[in-house]
Amino acid sequence: MKEQLLTLKNKALDELQKIKDVTDIESFKVAYLGKKGQLTALMKQIGKSPPDIRPEIGRLANTIKATISKAIEEKRSEIIASGAGKKEEIIDITLPGRKPLRGHVHPVNTVIREVCSIFSHMGFNVITGPDVELDYYNFEALNLPKDHPARDMQDTFYVSSNVVLRTHTSPIQVRVMEKTPPPVSIIAPGSVYRRDSDVSHTPMFHQVEGLLVDNDVTFGDLKGILTAFIHQMFGSGTKIRFRPSFFPFTEPSAEVDIQCVMCKGKGCRICSHTGWLEILGSGMVDPEVFRSVDYDTELYSGFAFGMGIERIAMLKYGIDDIQLFFKNDIMFLTQF
Amino acid sequence: MKISLNWLKEFVDIDMSQEELSHLLTMIGIEVASVMPVACDLDAIIAARILDIKPHPNADCLSLCTIDTGEKQIPVVCGAPNIKKGDIVPLALPGVRLPNGTKIKKGKIRGEVSEGVLLAEDELGLTDDHSGIMILPDASEPGMPITKIISLEDSVLDLELTPNRPDCASVIGIAREIAAATGKTLKRPEPEVNETGPNIEDLTSVTILEREACPRYTAGVVQHIKIGTSPFWMRYRLHLSGIRPVNNIVDVTNYVMLEMGQPLHAFDYDRLEENRIVVKFARQDESFTTLDGQTHNLDQNTLVICDAKQPVALAGIMGGLNSEIYEDTSNILIESAYFDPVIIRRASKRLGISTEASYRFERGADIEGTHIALKRALELISTLAGGSISKGIIDNYPKPYIARPVTLRIDRTNRILGSDLSRETIEGYLKGLNMDVERPDDQNTLVVTPPSFRVDISREADLFEEVARLEGYENIPITIPKIQPATKTDSQEISFGDHIRSVMRGAGFCEVITYSFISPASADMLDIPDSSPLRSFVKILNPLSLDQSVMRTNLIHGLLTVAESNIHRGAAGLKFFELGKVFFHREDNKQPIERMILTAIITGPYQEKTWYCQERMVDFYDIKGALEVFFEGVGIEDFSLAKTDTIPWFDTNISANVSSTGRVVGNIGRLKPDVVKAYNLKNKDFYAFEVDIEALLACIDKNKQFKPFPRFPAVYRDISILVPKGIESAAIVNIIKQHGKDLVESIRIFDLYEGEKIDKAEKAIAFRICYRSKKGTLDGEKINKLHETIIDIIRQETGGKLREG
Ligand SMILES: [Zn+2]
Repeated sequence: MKEQLLTLKNKALDELQKIKDVTDIESFKVAYLGKKGQLTALMKQIGKSPPDIRPEIGRLANTIKATISKAIEEKRSEIIASGAGKKEEIIDITLPGRKPLRGHVHPVNTVIREVCSIFSHMGFNVITGPDVELDYYNFEALNLPKDHPARDMQDTFYVSSNVVLRTHTSPIQVRVMEKTPPPVSIIAPGSVYRRDSDVSHTPMFHQVEGLLVDNDVTFGDLKGILTAFIHQMFGSGTKIRFRPSFFPFTEPSAEVDIQCVMCKGKGCRICSHTGWLEILGSGMVDPEVFRSVDYDTELYSGFAFGMGIERIAMLKYGIDDIQLFFKNDIMFLTQF
Repeated sequence: MKISLNWLKEFVDIDMSQEELSHLLTMIGIEVASVMPVACDLDAIIAARILDIKPHPNADCLSLCTIDTGEKQIPVVCGAPNIKKGDIVPLALPGVRLPNGTKIKKGKIRGEVSEGVLLAEDELGLTDDHSGIMILPDASEPGMPITKIISLEDSVLDLELTPNRPDCASVIGIAREIAAATGKTLKRPEPEVNETGPNIEDLTSVTILEREACPRYTAGVVQHIKIGTSPFWMRYRLHLSGIRPVNNIVDVTNYVMLEMGQPLHAFDYDRLEENRIVVKFARQDESFTTLDGQTHNLDQNTLVICDAKQPVALAGIMGGLNSEIYEDTSNILIESAYFDPVIIRRASKRLGISTEASYRFERGADIEGTHIALKRALELISTLAGGSISKGIIDNYPKPYIARPVTLRIDRTNRILGSDLSRETIEGYLKGLNMDVERPDDQNTLVVTPPSFRVDISREADLFEEVARLEGYENIPITIPKIQPATKTDSQEISFGDHIRSVMRGAGFCEVITYSFISPASADMLDIPDSSPLRSFVKILNPLSLDQSVMRTNLIHGLLTVAESNIHRGAAGLKFFELGKVFFHREDNKQPIERMILTAIITGPYQEKTWYCQERMVDFYDIKGALEVFFEGVGIEDFSLAKTDTIPWFDTNISANVSSTGRVVGNIGRLKPDVVKAYNLKNKDFYAFEVDIEALLACIDKNKQFKPFPRFPAVYRDISILVPKGIESAAIVNIIKQHGKDLVESIRIFDLYEGEKIDKAEKAIAFRICYRSKKGTLDGEKINKLHETIIDIIRQETGGKLREG
């Protein structure tokens, strides 16, 4: 009797192991545990066994029944979990999913964020200032007195004789230095305005300005920080050159070029066949600027830089028309 | 500025490729925008001799020439009036392609065979001249390529000059920079003047009444000149520099200006009253006609060059019609002067005249160079136009140049640049730039006197740049500075702005950026009342167009404009937002008030029809949902809407102020049909919300704390009630909250029905209330009682009735 029970148990478990389908499990269950099942049949015979071993046989039979029941349930879960049990359900996995609505951030703001975040990580504070600015902050404090020919570089919108739409983000430098003693390290994004509108100019665009002032900041430091920035922004292999230029608020001044991203320096239409692209203007803060904010020019030195965001976005994304940024066509906006 | 490479080579040896030269100039601060080779495709053009000219039998204006090509004689039909027998002229034979692309073919012109074409200068691409066939020097052999006869091959450098370097606005200026950078010697011109005329003092005088405005005026007189066309070489160079040749005298003044940077002016000596010059300011409202025929109204700040009677030129800007050189001019007075940059700039700005001369004067000419430039001009004039030059020149120099030495510290230079340059190296660089350098005993300084043409150098910092330029920016070692960690918080405009953008993007909105200036007509389009502060525009004095003439006071105008352009390009469902500044005018020349606001608009279908959802047009609850998501995203937990009719562009029925913590932070609503129509968007429903960022920030709890989970189970009970349509759900919610005391944890409206099954004036609304106590498990019986009480109160206060089923 005992033998029979154990043999049946092994047979049942072996058989169960081979089952791959939920429906087969049901018939298996009936075949062993059902009213006319094999185990049920065997258990009915327990009463015929000698009384001295009957309780023991009974216990064994119950254990075996429990073991098989448990194994059946486990097998069932296993099959369901593997998914094989639903073989009748066919789904078209190529149908598009139920998409939550997704919006888009304007590429100009994406690039501003990227630029600011690179400088933030270097320890620069992100600062902003007014769009409608006093002539003093926009020009005079930046060593651009009235009647200075360099004012021609930036055609200005006037609101009154001494209030302008800022032509660059540089006035933020002055506002910060006026309030804060050195050391100062800021990065300042914002919209700027120039009275200029043609194929390659929009009357409003965006700039990011940077400033670092401390004891003994050098031109070599300017090169170091801007090289680090460009390598993060455009890739660590990007070739860079610094060349002399002129800005009234820096001396020495440097224009920073990167190797043309389109032709890799071979020369193409985008880089006017020079192989280089102007990416930002920079320089050591002019002593006149320090004087207007009462910084001791003997104790402190610093560098400033500024870049056009649309230009960077155009190079980064291969956009060839600056007007696209302000037309706000959804075919444009949804690409970013 | 465009200059000829051959011209440049007259003053400095250049033994490098054009690419190397471009790089060299660019790296010392003179950006080379392009280098264009010229006359490089003329090898096939040969010199030919005209053996015979006969009239064309069938055309009066044509002639029939017999041409010696060096190999054979050919017939050529030609229409130019200037040729004569024996002339050597450029010839293109059949098969030759001209610079303008034309291919020469053998053919018949009015019945006569023509086996080639005689060429004018413009057809050769050399100048703009088309007055006749180009005549080559007599000694030329027929058959020789013309490029072997006259020097034509050249390159034009297009240079971008910075405004601080007027000294580079000349061929010699650029040559000087090349010499400094390469160590080559600058070959200065030494004009030789053969003075055969009377003493200058017997011919003219110069009186300077304004010595500050005109510190130096030099002049010379040439008598008995012959006005004519300049020789080819001069016209060619002027043409390459972008200057139109006029006649030999005017051409010389332009040529010397390009060569030496000193603007000159030639007066007709005989047309000057009393043949003399007076420099003074104009009278207020004095009228003056410049040589371009324009009449200007002058003021007392305009410096003018006068004769004994009246103005004859706008100093440093342009000459007058009344003293201009003309064909029969035989005596001339040449002016070479220095004018105060600010005086010239103001006048040029005010009069709206910008010339090659004013460009140089307003940036600063070389006060010490006027007499050399004058002599160079006199030399060229006597070569080109003959005549006799007066003995001596007038050099009226009431305010002589004073050189100002600058002390340069070697250690300071290296500390600013991050370099390690020796005193000798620095001294060498500066001397190479024509600076006078003295070495005091202290070892650490140099006393540097810049040349008079370097008007940009007056301070030590200016010299740092010179040293850096010559050392080469690329040779200054890269270092990384120590930066103090940022201790202040970043601008909210940026950090909070970024957060707002990411929340709005998550809510499915697309960000736009529109111009901050808009049309003043927008106020009417948006139905803004006359008295509204939304009309207190900041006006731009010099806008590019009326459409961009005032600073915006709202973002809704820009968003509607963007919606309009997208809808007219075929877009349907739009969800846009803009986060930007609005501006409000303040009196007294003050800066305006700037406020950051967020505006979002939606229109059209919420989503396109897909396999899983039907198309549905947006309604108020979509914009409200967006506002709710936005508030949740930025951490505003509690807010309420209150109907208002104060938002000009919203429908008064669907328009509300949005408040949080007791203050209004924004508004929400549906755009008036009239407003929508004003934007050319008929029959579209637009919904929008606007939030003031500063007000919003004040409502955000910056001290957000974790809330522990509830410890005891919740009990849920539903109410389904029929109420008049005018009853707001919030009224019922408030009753539940008020009477449920602190046992009501949350209320969810899970059903709303308006339709056939109920009275038209009613709506059925269903709430699920979550009851929970913080103190213990709730007793079901007690909650049932509370729930009943609440239902009774709702019925009493709203006149509602319980809905069956
Ligand atoms: Zn390129």
